[in-house]
Amino acid sequence: MNIDLYFFATLLVLGYFFGRMAEKKHFKSIIEREQKYQDVLTFNGRLLPPGMENSKAELVGGNVVISVDYFKRIAAGLRAIVGGRVTTYESLLERARREAILRMKEDAIAKGATMVVNVKLETASITKGQGQQIGSVEIYAYGTALSPMPVL
Amino acid sequence: MKYENRTIPEGINVSEEHPLKEFVILAFGLGAMTVLVVALLSFMAGWLVHLIPFSIEKSLSTSSFAASISDRVDLTKEQQRIESYLQQLADELVVAQQLPEGMDVVVHYVDDDTVNAFATLGGNLIMYRGLIERLPHENALAMLLSHEIAHIKQRAPIVALGRGVAVGLALASISGFGDSSMSQQLVGNVGLLTSLSFSRQQEDQADIEALQTLERYYGHTRGAESLFEVLNEGSNVFNPPEILSTHPVTQERIKRVDSFNEKSSELVPYKNLPDFLMKEFKTAN
Repeated sequence: MNIDLYFFATLLVLGYFFGRMAEKKHFKSIIEREQKYQDVLTFNGRLLPPGMENSKAELVGGNVVISVDYFKRIAAGLRAIVGGRVTTYESLLERARREAILRMKEDAIAKGATMVVNVKLETASITKGQGQQIGSVEIYAYGTALSPMPVL
Repeated sequence: MKYENRTIPEGINVSEEHPLKEFVILAFGLGAMTVLVVALLSFMAGWLVHLIPFSIEKSLSTSSFAASISDRVDLTKEQQRIESYLQQLADELVVAQQLPEGMDVVVHYVDDDTVNAFATLGGNLIMYRGLIERLPHENALAMLLSHEIAHIKQRAPIVALGRGVAVGLALASISGFGDSSMSQQLVGNVGLLTSLSFSRQQEDQADIEALQTLERYYGHTRGAESLFEVLNEGSNVFNPPEILSTHPVTQERIKRVDSFNEKSSELVPYKNLPDFLMKEFKTAN
């Protein structure tokens, strides 16, 4: 019993500190890069904004997989008994969504685009329903990048 | 028309609350609830289990550990003699302890170095050579047997089984709601601690009951403390703190015997263990 408990406590503490460190670092980097790529506009509308009709259109995408840490998993497990906002997973998914969009924007920039329209997000859980495993979440952001073409 | 992506304010999807705060509140809240549920369930199970007739318990035990241990080991003639000696002494103590009608005990002697003895389902007492051979006289052996017989009188084994099943079932279903093994782990440990402190109460009662039995059987309780002295030597490795231990701390048990001993003033000699017993133990080693 004791060994189990120590093992559990160690994992919990490790999960908490490393998970929190990684999350802080990641959010800092996300905010910085969002500032940097602010000029690349993203829209979820399907239709081209006026004035963009004469553009080169290409598929761009960015995906990210983030793992749950042990602490988040335990906290969410406790939350699952009583119900309510699973705040530990909320921040995880927020990170994943923003990171995926940033990577899509990076792809767009590499292709010389100034705008991405019809942006969509897909989510997949890597460890579906396998209770004993630490879960990971994948988010894939994709859209149509528009690069202005020289007027002929 | 000018298009732009405005900066979205932070903190919409991410709560500012410290994650540890939520965790501590949830963990302690659920921990307290679990202790409460376990205590309530084991109280109710312990109470209901007394309604199971002893005869049913006996038929349950035929398929249990006690039956398998006695069937598996073929005793030699000498060992059978020891067993029937123990059985005879136990039967006399059963009378002295005034067990209810229809309740009896069956002693199983096990030729093994383990320093232990225990009572299990259906009035079966398992006695290991390792403990008996360390006892200095019959009075200590009678204390040991009376203590185990007292557990049978309390219905302690079936109460433990009933509690174990009820609590185990409840905890399994609680932890089934969460998605993870962790709640199982957390919840399981809380359950263990609670069930331990329950059976300690039974140990205290069994000691008192056993001392009263000795008083009726020998007319005094002297020599009973030798049992605890022997048990204390056997477990010289590490004495766990009281809350973690099923049995009361040895010093307290010896103190209790002393308080009984004060009642009888005259010194009565201890009864020796029979010679054949000592001889068999010597050859066994």
